[in-house]
Amino acid sequence: MVNLEDLKKETKKILEEERVKYIIGYKRGSNGLMPVPAFIKNPEDVEKLIWDPACVYNLSRFLVDEKRRKAKEKKPDERAVGLIVKGCDSRALNVLLQEKFINRDDVYIIGVSCENTGIVDEKKLAKKLKGKKILKIEYSEKDNFVTTTEDGKTEISAQGILAERCLECRAGFPVIYDVFLGEKAKRKLDNPCKSLENIENLSGEERWAFWKEQFDKCIRCYACRSICPMCYCEECVVDTINYAVATDTTAEEKAQRIKWIEKSPVASENIVYHLVRAIHLAGRCIDCGECERVCPLDIPIRLLNKKLEKEARELFGYEAGLDPDQVSLISSFKDEDPDDFII
Amino acid sequence: MKRTGVFICRCGINIAGTVDVEKVAKELYKHTGVVHSEDYIYMCSDPGQNLIVEAIKEKKLDSVIIACCSPTLHETTFRNAAKSAGLNPFQCEIANIREQCSWVHKDMEKATEKSIKITRSAVERVRRNESLEPISIPVTRKALVIGGGISGIQSALDLANSGFEVILVERSPSIGGHMIQLSETFPTLDCSQCILTPKMVEASKHPKINLMTYSEVQEISGYVGNFKVKILKKPTYVDPDKCTLCDECTRVCPVVVPNEFDIGLTGRRAIYIPFPQSIPATYTLDIKACPGLLPIACGKCEDVCEPNAIDFDMKPEIIEEEVGTIIAATGYDLYEKELMSEYGYGKYPDVLDGLQFERLCSASGPTMGKILRPSDHKEPKEVVFVQCVGSRDPELHCAYCSKICCMYTAKHAMLFKHHVHDGQAYIFYIDIRSGGKGYEEFVQRAVEEDGVLYLRGKVSKIFGDKGKLKVWGVDTLSGKDIEIDADMVVLAMATRPSKGAEELAKKLKIAIDKDGFLSEAHPKLRPVESVTSGMFLAGAAQAPKDIPEAVAQASGAAAKAITILSQERLYHAPTVAMVNVNLCTGCEMCVHVCPYDALSLKDGKVEVNEVLCEGCGTCSATCLRAAIQIKNLTPLQVHEMIKACLGG
Repeated sequence: MVNLEDLKKETKKILEEERVKYIIGYKRGSNGLMPVPAFIKNPEDVEKLIWDPACVYNLSRFLVDEKRRKAKEKKPDERAVGLIVKGCDSRALNVLLQEKFINRDDVYIIGVSCENTGIVDEKKLAKKLKGKKILKIEYSEKDNFVTTTEDGKTEISAQGILAERCLECRAGFPVIYDVFLGEKAKRKLDNPCKSLENIENLSGEERWAFWKEQFDKCIRCYACRSICPMCYCEECVVDTINYAVATDTTAEEKAQRIKWIEKSPVASENIVYHLVRAIHLAGRCIDCGECERVCPLDIPIRLLNKKLEKEARELFGYEAGLDPDQVSLISSFKDEDPDDFII
Repeated sequence: MKRTGVFICRCGINIAGTVDVEKVAKELYKHTGVVHSEDYIYMCSDPGQNLIVEAIKEKKLDSVIIACCSPTLHETTFRNAAKSAGLNPFQCEIANIREQCSWVHKDMEKATEKSIKITRSAVERVRRNESLEPISIPVTRKALVIGGGISGIQSALDLANSGFEVILVERSPSIGGHMIQLSETFPTLDCSQCILTPKMVEASKHPKINLMTYSEVQEISGYVGNFKVKILKKPTYVDPDKCTLCDECTRVCPVVVPNEFDIGLTGRRAIYIPFPQSIPATYTLDIKACPGLLPIACGKCEDVCEPNAIDFDMKPEIIEEEVGTIIAATGYDLYEKELMSEYGYGKYPDVLDGLQFERLCSASGPTMGKILRPSDHKEPKEVVFVQCVGSRDPELHCAYCSKICCMYTAKHAMLFKHHVHDGQAYIFYIDIRSGGKGYEEFVQRAVEEDGVLYLRGKVSKIFGDKGKLKVWGVDTLSGKDIEIDADMVVLAMATRPSKGAEELAKKLKIAIDKDGFLSEAHPKLRPVESVTSGMFLAGAAQAPKDIPEAVAQASGAAAKAITILSQERLYHAPTVAMVNVNLCTGCEMCVHVCPYDALSLKDGKVEVNEVLCEGCGTCSATCLRAAIQIKNLTPLQVHEMIKACLGG
């Protein structure tokens, strides 16, 4: 079990020693159960930190913002950022390190284990509690969560209310860290891609109909892109030329840009957006599931990424985020790689 | 807006037979930016090229499209024509309407429609083409030849005699390759060693040839004209300058291992000279067989060596060299005999492979030229030769024909008869392939003069039976089962690429074919070139070959290498990758994926080495951020081409 007091002690120590400029963790929000990201600079503020099964966010995304902010500063603080990460979040860090987007020195990693269970799915939990207002959720010694509602404490089985990704997670503990709290327990998984079963059993036409319906819903708010730690490109192909964000893009370079996709959120354009995103995440997505969680229209985006994750594993024996020194999926070639798709 | 001219080739009826070229010309004339459009019977002919030159001058064209055959054939022709009219050659592009259209379609109407689209998209591409200048690079006028068999020796000699420095690398302690193991050579039956050793001596004494035996190529980088090579020189632990070849060391060496030169028919010591005519003439201490270099382990050879030639402190050396061109002459090996267990190789000492039989026939061989059974040293009377062992067997072994076995088996049978006059030779064959000068006559001679019995069929099993080898086979001409009590069996094993050829191919970045032989750039028109420019192939490394063919290819490879070495400078296509540093995040994916090592990271951004870049575009396809693209084939150009194809 992660002892919250230990977590506070560790973070306080590195803040006091001025090894990090600030720490990103979780704190209680003002709106119910779900915590909010906490940015802590003062050692005394570590008391605000919490750690419970509702700490769903992948905080590594903030490193993307941090890098941009730092690039603009004239005399940037070169110290690392302290970051509290779960197993999945740590794999995202590995991909960012692998792609040299961040340096290992840029981040001080405080790893926490998910106590052999995982984190909670807010929607599943609400359904389970049938409208009762939940005040608190905690890990229990067993594979249970302890929930506190107006009626008091109850222990419920974690299995039914875990986030989908946790049900398919093999390592509920960080693979890279500077300090680690909790236990390392490998999980036995019969099928790490169980969520794909239903959709893979559909015929081609049925699948197409399914996705067409899903993409029809999309309003292209780009929340999935904004939350994704891997979507850190300066410019995105789906943005229009005028929206180009790279500051010193010349007019000539802008004239070379291609309008791959129309702005309007219609099915044909939405499909291109989602497929481009999925393909660009092949071998990079570490399944933190944040894209799906933030989607206001409940599009099962995670299934697309999961499918590519499965293909990468089965065809090329590749898993994203396990090692910052491995060569990325797209740029690695082995003689044994299957090539039966080449005519 | 550019002023583009479009020229459509009829290619006789190659294109005009399926494509309405006049319609293509008419339709293209309507396309935006096209100010000239015509068709002609053969655009590549002189009058055809003149049409282009005249039109460029008259209509002040600044770009041209030739709709014709594949750019691999006539792109250079037309770019030179455009250049002669004062145009930058990179303002000329090809629309392939032959290989990609007329040759693969039958329906004229649809093929015409497709030709129009292909040509339109080429117009869209050339609209955004930049005028580029070729990249000029200097040439290192020195060659590397890998492999010291007959092919490598021949290539090295031809290059050296043309005045170029050559490094000849051989991984074993002596040059000579397989040819030095052979007894006599077909079809003239002249002694193999007698014709090869003069060449070996010439190569070793040649002032332009730097002979590096017991050495292996470790690493190759660079590009045509400027390769950097790292060669590992393995320690022989014997100083060749001091060694007097007194042979005292082998007499005291306590270790005996199978002798590679006699393919295990004899043994050799851990310290040895491969064969008497070895070049360089010196001993080598086989460290794998030696009990240990420390005097405490053995050290007997060092004790007896009077000139103190043995130096246990010798270390492997890495020698770095720069060369302009490379010839791979890595040769062949015989097929792994363990895979042919039904023929009892390894189980019965009197079942031999072709090379072992060569050693038995050889005057310098283990039996001093007497054909004797390895098991009991008796003269065999009945000898069965089996052809196509492992060859022409796509289900289980090699699909290809090993080419040399028909001839050498006939020779073996003949040599056997010459040694054992009262003996009988049987040859099991599938069919006889004796194409070559004097070859068919040679086979006939074996049958008529030496009474060799040819049996058309395969052998199913060979097994020991009362001191004999029972050979079960079938004669498919008479339909009868054949059973022969043989004294000796010789298997004509399939030839394979030599061990390590595959790893070397990877280092050289040259392709191998499905059987592991080094791939030529074009099976007919570029048979001695590899797909990587500046690297050439010689001998059996490319395919099974007999000696005259290997020598011819070796000389061909040398001539090809000279086309590079004789230049002051080489010119490299400028259609290379360029980086948009604003978009590059330095993720290094393109660096890993580049097959030419042309990309590197500098200050967190990718940098292109334009000399190394071949413009293949793999980087462009890999980059998630479209931060790297190929000049004159940018994503925007491709996008516009697709749009033109889709009719947009």
